[in-house]
Amino acid sequence: MWWYIGKRLLQTIPVILGATFIIWALVFLRPGDPILGLFGDKPASPAVKAAIEHQYHLDENFFVQWLYFLKGIFTFDLGDDFRGQAISTQLQNAFPVTVTLALMALVFEAIFGVVLGTIAGLRRNGWFDSTMLVATLIMLAIPIFVIGFVFQLFFGVKLGWAAVTVGGDWTVSKLILPAVVLGIVDLAYTLRLTRTSVAENLSADHVRTARAKGLSPGLVVRNHVLRNSLIPVTTHLGVNVGGLMAGAVITEGIFNVPGVGNLAFRSIQQGQSTTVVSVVTVMVLVYVLMSLLVDLLYAVLDPRIRYA
Amino acid sequence: MSETPLLELRDLHVGFRNEKKKMIPAVAGASLTVYPGQTVAIVGESGSGKSTTAHAIIDLLPGTGKVTGGEILFEGKPIKSGDRKSILALRGSSIGLVPQDPMSNLNPLWRVGSQIKEALVANGVAKGKAADQRVVELLEEAGLPDAERRARQYPHEFSGGMRQRALIAMGLAARPKLLIADEPTSALDVTVQKQILDHLDKLTDQLGFAVLLITHDLGLAAERADHLVVMYHGQIVESGPAREILRDPAHPYTKRLVSKAPSLASQRLSSAKARAEVREQAMQTAGEIVSELQDADEHFGEVPNDVIVAENLTKIFKLRGAKPWQSVDFVAVDDVSFRLRRGTTTAVVGESGSGKSTLARMVLDLLPPTSGTVKFDGVDIRSLKGKEQLQLRRQMQPVFQNPYASLDPLYTIYESIAEPLRTHDIGDGKQREARIRELLEKVSLPTSVMKRFPAELSGGQRQRVAIARALALEPEVVICDEAVSALDVLVQAQILELLNDLQAELGLSYLFITHDLAVVRQIADDVLVMQNGKVVEAASVSKVFDDPQEAYTRKLLDAIPGAGIEMAV
Repeated sequence: MWWYIGKRLLQTIPVILGATFIIWALVFLRPGDPILGLFGDKPASPAVKAAIEHQYHLDENFFVQWLYFLKGIFTFDLGDDFRGQAISTQLQNAFPVTVTLALMALVFEAIFGVVLGTIAGLRRNGWFDSTMLVATLIMLAIPIFVIGFVFQLFFGVKLGWAAVTVGGDWTVSKLILPAVVLGIVDLAYTLRLTRTSVAENLSADHVRTARAKGLSPGLVVRNHVLRNSLIPVTTHLGVNVGGLMAGAVITEGIFNVPGVGNLAFRSIQQGQSTTVVSVVTVMVLVYVLMSLLVDLLYAVLDPRIRYA
Repeated sequence: MSETPLLELRDLHVGFRNEKKKMIPAVAGASLTVYPGQTVAIVGESGSGKSTTAHAIIDLLPGTGKVTGGEILFEGKPIKSGDRKSILALRGSSIGLVPQDPMSNLNPLWRVGSQIKEALVANGVAKGKAADQRVVELLEEAGLPDAERRARQYPHEFSGGMRQRALIAMGLAARPKLLIADEPTSALDVTVQKQILDHLDKLTDQLGFAVLLITHDLGLAAERADHLVVMYHGQIVESGPAREILRDPAHPYTKRLVSKAPSLASQRLSSAKARAEVREQAMQTAGEIVSELQDADEHFGEVPNDVIVAENLTKIFKLRGAKPWQSVDFVAVDDVSFRLRRGTTTAVVGESGSGKSTLARMVLDLLPPTSGTVKFDGVDIRSLKGKEQLQLRRQMQPVFQNPYASLDPLYTIYESIAEPLRTHDIGDGKQREARIRELLEKVSLPTSVMKRFPAELSGGQRQRVAIARALALEPEVVICDEAVSALDVLVQAQILELLNDLQAELGLSYLFITHDLAVVRQIADDVLVMQNGKVVEAASVSKVFDDPQEAYTRKLLDAIPGAGIEMAV
């Protein structure tokens, strides 16, 4: 077990090296000079520009710049961006709100997806199942920015039930509407997965045996259908947490949430390579740790799986 | 008998609705009676409606199944399929079920003990600590050693036989008056089957419950039940005391069943005599072919009498050990040597896990042996490369166990049989078609099946296709890995006859892998009995059956169901 966890953690090292290298290369290839942008309309003095470039190692070649970045990661000192703000502070400000948003979206999609999916699976091909089929199709078909703007207009502006935008002083209640928008596509996936899984398990041999034992229908569903059906759903949800955080860029943009998505978007526009790659590194870590967590959870749910 | 029957079916009709909302009848007018303490067996082939009848009794028909007519009476009171409450009260407490497949009938996520405890709690027998205690007693009663520890384990830590014992404990947990045993042992090895059925017999005597035994094996049914009910195409064609039916079957279907059931047929001397004739003819044909070859090709040299010679074959698999850097050696096949004489059949017999399939894969050159050699016509098969290896594959063809899995579902029958011809670049389109027609004729299939897909054929037909495909390249040796195990008895008998005829006609040599000693006498000349990777006995078939030397062989022979029944020959 510990050997397995250790092995998985060791595997993250090449993943992080590879991911940062690729992102670094992409930002490097982006046209435009970020330092020149700092001067605005004023003429750039070559001496000052050279000094700044030296300060950020921009006069070195691309590969050496990447090595400097790696050094920053391993010494826990990511340094400043081109405007002189500490990158670690920016990450500290941005991550809590995105993590909260992602978790709220996760709770929303998990509760509604599993409950509605179970009902649909138990009454397969009934009117409820058909309604859910159409509803999930709609959720999957409409792009997230359309849903976002429509919800913002309808629930925020017209009905006034929720804050239209979130802004700098975010609170949990302000994040409800963005969380719903963020979770809605995955809700459709979760619902369908639960529905199929429940319907499949209902006809399993061991469920018939449980009925033959004399268990009431409620007990059969609770003990022998639900738990078995939720294993694939758990995997899907767990792997998705990373996706929710990364996918928050659009939602954060629409509702003006001061989170990681906004930070990444701004940094890419400004060519703040160190900031972009730092954000990505944290994202990769979240992804890797979440999938490890899911694998470990899998072993808890299914006694047949043991890691050695 | 004047007492009220425990269970009575009167003219029961069960149907399944198909996609066009039409009812397809599965059981058409079944009537039977089970008295308290009696063991009644329903015998029939797959699709005969025997399991459907059993599931209708406890209202657990799958999918669109529905009782469309007739009556089910339990202790004189009717069971109505709509009346959920009273059926729920009957399930478990009055009627227990031991299901067919021990692998899929336990929930893999719950401890075995808690699954049995559930039955106790649901039927109000015991609760809490008392129930835990009772679970251990029940498992002990079902013949599971070390029950206290076992109750805390998960199903995947149990072997098939142990799981079936747990399922029996579960079925008997609330002391039902009737136990429905739906093919309780057909997924198990014969020796385990015998242990479990013996134990069930003992429990029936002790506890006095009635058993409705559902089985495809006539020998087994006759041995275990007082009363037989024979089902065919959803109807009960014959019923009566077991011995009477065996001695004097009235319905033509029962007659065929009695004469073909391998467990019974294997006792007959006539089958051994027929086999000897087949062998003689086959060896003669094989000899002719060899001498023809030698005449045609001077370089062919001396062709040995033994077509396959395996010497000291050993296969060791490395398994993951307790620590990540450790590995454990698992000896699957341990120093096995045998010879396959041209034109004869050597059967490899053993229980699951005895290494017989691993042996077959090594002989087919699909798996490299850890040590030892396989010689085909005197040439070590491992030394062959490229073209020569391809040539070897032509001469040695396999037929596998599961005719549902060994044919590509997206290939027509024509394409399936043509594939080996194309691979080896034999003939043009017209010649291939002629060859395929000829092959289908050989395996007694109409040429109209060429355009069909495997899903449109029955299990027996598919196995015929698999045999035709194996014969397409005119091999010298056919390796049958459990080639008839998945088939119904009558179909099994047909395929065995077909294999015998083909051997006599074409001079084939068979390596016949099976767990079922009952079929061995009908097809084999030499027998290799394997246990835990080792050969425990190797002798001619008559010697093994009439004068077995090893205790293990005797145990296998005793376990053939129906062995003790006297037959009208």
